[in-house]
Amino acid sequence: MRESIKVLAAFLIVLLSLVTPSYSQNAKLVEAAKKEGKVAAYGSLESDNADAVFQVFKKKTGIEVDYWRASATKVMDRALTEYRAGKPLFDIIITNDSPMQIMWKEGILTKYDSPSAKDFTKDSIDPNLGPRYRNVIIGVAYNKSIISPAEAPKSLEDLVKPQYRGKLVMPDPTQHTTTTQWVASLEKLMGKEKAEKYIRDLAAQKPVLVESLLPAAERVTTGETPIAITYVKYVYMFGQKGAPLDYVRLGKMLGDGHYVTLGNKAPHPNAGKALIDFFLSQESMSIMAKTGEFVNRKGIYPPLPGADKIQFVEMYDLDTKQYAEKKKEYQQIFLR
Amino acid sequence: MSANERTLSVEQPLATAWNQTRVGAFLSQPISWVFLIVGGIIAFLSLYPTIFLFYGSLVNAPLGVPGHFTLQNYVKAYGDSEAYPLLLNSFIFGLGASGLSVVFALALAWITIRTNAPFRRLFELTAIIPNILPPILVAISWVMLLNPSNGLINGLFVKFFGMEKGPFNIYSIPGLIFVEALILTPLAFLIIAAALKSMDPSLEESAKTLGSGELGVMSRITFPLMRPAILAAATLNFVRAVESFDTPAIIALPARIEVFTTKIWREALGSFPTNHNLAAAYGVGILLVALLFVYLYRRFTSQVENFSTVTGKGFRPHQIDLGGWKYLASAVAFLLLVLLVVLPILVLLLVAILPYYHVPTWETWKHLTLDHFRYIWVTPRVHKAFGNSMLLALLGATICMVLASLASYITVRTKIAGRGLIEGLIFIPWAFPGTALALGLLWAYIDFPIPVYATIWIILIAYVTRFLPYGMRAVSSTIIQVHRELEEASVACGAGFMATFRRVLIPMMRPGVMAGWIILVTIFMREFSATLFLYSPGSEPLGPLMYFLYLDGMRGRVAAIGLVISVISVILIAFAQRYSRWETK
Repeated sequence: MRESIKVLAAFLIVLLSLVTPSYSQNAKLVEAAKKEGKVAAYGSLESDNADAVFQVFKKKTGIEVDYWRASATKVMDRALTEYRAGKPLFDIIITNDSPMQIMWKEGILTKYDSPSAKDFTKDSIDPNLGPRYRNVIIGVAYNKSIISPAEAPKSLEDLVKPQYRGKLVMPDPTQHTTTTQWVASLEKLMGKEKAEKYIRDLAAQKPVLVESLLPAAERVTTGETPIAITYVKYVYMFGQKGAPLDYVRLGKMLGDGHYVTLGNKAPHPNAGKALIDFFLSQESMSIMAKTGEFVNRKGIYPPLPGADKIQFVEMYDLDTKQYAEKKKEYQQIFLR
Repeated sequence: MSANERTLSVEQPLATAWNQTRVGAFLSQPISWVFLIVGGIIAFLSLYPTIFLFYGSLVNAPLGVPGHFTLQNYVKAYGDSEAYPLLLNSFIFGLGASGLSVVFALALAWITIRTNAPFRRLFELTAIIPNILPPILVAISWVMLLNPSNGLINGLFVKFFGMEKGPFNIYSIPGLIFVEALILTPLAFLIIAAALKSMDPSLEESAKTLGSGELGVMSRITFPLMRPAILAAATLNFVRAVESFDTPAIIALPARIEVFTTKIWREALGSFPTNHNLAAAYGVGILLVALLFVYLYRRFTSQVENFSTVTGKGFRPHQIDLGGWKYLASAVAFLLLVLLVVLPILVLLLVAILPYYHVPTWETWKHLTLDHFRYIWVTPRVHKAFGNSMLLALLGATICMVLASLASYITVRTKIAGRGLIEGLIFIPWAFPGTALALGLLWAYIDFPIPVYATIWIILIAYVTRFLPYGMRAVSSTIIQVHRELEEASVACGAGFMATFRRVLIPMMRPGVMAGWIILVTIFMREFSATLFLYSPGSEPLGPLMYFLYLDGMRGRVAAIGLVISVISVILIAFAQRYSRWETK
């Protein structure tokens, strides 16, 4: 009897270890992480999408995630200021390429080779920052209750046709950094010469200029302006709530890569690593895709029609000087 | 203790040799100690983060990184000829918005406080509501109402008057001024209303006895007496409009109207990475303009005695009987409140029950939802944020008003050398753009010997630092009106400074103190620009929470939280107003 109980107990232990495969290999790390108690993350990933992942992480490990959400620039500002003052309170940073590169150069991040990185394609792994876990893609969205799919533009080039004059909204490329980057990267899609002419034609359409990509999408949901240059994921996000949005199937679309990295002086380094391992796992990628994110994992797409056909083209990574020059240049073109 | 005993106890120390020195004489006065303590606290609060920002404007590297002294930030900020036409635009915008807000506030305050117009108490209570709403939501509401494509009000004109297109275009300078004026009106209302409550109407009555009509009394007596409060409100609102970014971002940008803050945003705060040094250099310029206005304000109000209208003669302000005109007065107040409160709140209510943000159609009514309110109910993060904000609002506003009352007394009532310095000091942090100051506060307190960084207390310090001028303006416009004879009577009866302050001045200043307290509570309940940099996840208040929800496109949730905050704030205001009335003394 005692023997059979022992066998049963051994069997249960083996079974339990199989049930939690992602942590079996990092059991030691998770144990150390539990002792640290919590993990502090600063990021620009939307709160609801981040919470969806963090809640599952907490369920699995019991570790609480304190998430500070802000725009990418503010995330970088706060992390750099804390680090320079010698009081970094963050364990991990979750944001896009350009600020990550600056923070990396400042030495506030450290390299962590997560075992979960093996599931990403090699070309999506930055030597310092690790895998590019999601692509935030900019496209053309429109209100299909105002513009029928037949009348909608079919390409970026269509946007400069006379029939769309006064019907387009986009963030101000002289103010909104990601849009500056997008306009500057158009040559990756159409070649330098064509892009230069296109930018002038686009400005000549006198698009309504707004503060950022979200108000652009919102003007389309309200019907105030029927077409927007905005994040494609908003089509899913607002569509879920009933907004009559669709997007133009452009094929190739520009976007920005996002990363998750460990702080160089993380107060909870093991908890930070454990969260990164889970964050980059198949399970986490599936959760994020369901919230509308274009995760960088083959076969996992957001539930948006045609999402699997989108070819992501990463935008140029501009430095401070280039941003300033481009903003000045676009001022002459867009604000004349 | 009798009056004689008191006199003796004051005279005895005077006899000592130590007290015969000038410093000794200065320190023997209780008010001098108050001056030193209050001045010390205010100097620390305002100068500590400001020094970091000044330093930042003069170096070429962010704080914490070794840099070199440079004037390059100033050359870049002010050497650009493009900046000056934008300054003119900002000036027109600031002047227009501030002027219009004062006109609205004056009309509303006079009707609700000094007349017998029906429903005046209700109007008074609701006039402050817009101050509770985040300005960005008010601006968005008006875009939904007045945009030329599908604005609801424009739509009504098209439908009922057969017009080809609606008559209003929010995307214009008048549109920009109108919306900003509506955002700024509650602040002006509170300051002006506080002064009106403290005003003795005997001068008005004398004018009437001498044959002046109501209009004559208003233009020749009431409004001139109100001048300090009107100027205080106009000064505050002018600077607030000039440094505001929310309304220009939503209205001026699509209209392609550029103001100075747009430029600051493009060149410094919104640049990548943020150029804090340049932002600090712009901040110093705004600071100088603001200080110029403070100087002008002080000049306007320097002849204090001219404005003393609350005397010791036992008068209390009372209502003016408008006769049949009272209904017209109510109609005017009602119209103003429709613009200030009813329309924006209705739009917010609509946004809070819409599944997503859009202009409603008949189809919409089938999809209305209470999901956004449910989110508030079931989310622990929201509950915690409410708790944090309530603590910050009640404690922060109280600390601010204690400091503001003492500081106002010192600057307005005493002849202590250096009293003007206190007012200047209070205004310094206020004149910096919000984000630049937040950064100065972060730099200042991150390495502070007392570990306040990443606690709720750093937010409290930030609120007191940034918003003390609001409290100060509200109190000092009331204190100016309190005649010295009441204090003199108190002192003659043997009361010391603290007793006079507590028993005479505080009750007299009560309308101003409570008005300031209300302004601050409503601002603190929703503040985010300074909070954003300073809070840590455990100490998250409502402002940053709403900001993130807004950033994530969750306007319904933001609107729902905004409405709940409004209800809580109205309850707080109702209590505060009840307490501030003269009749309840």
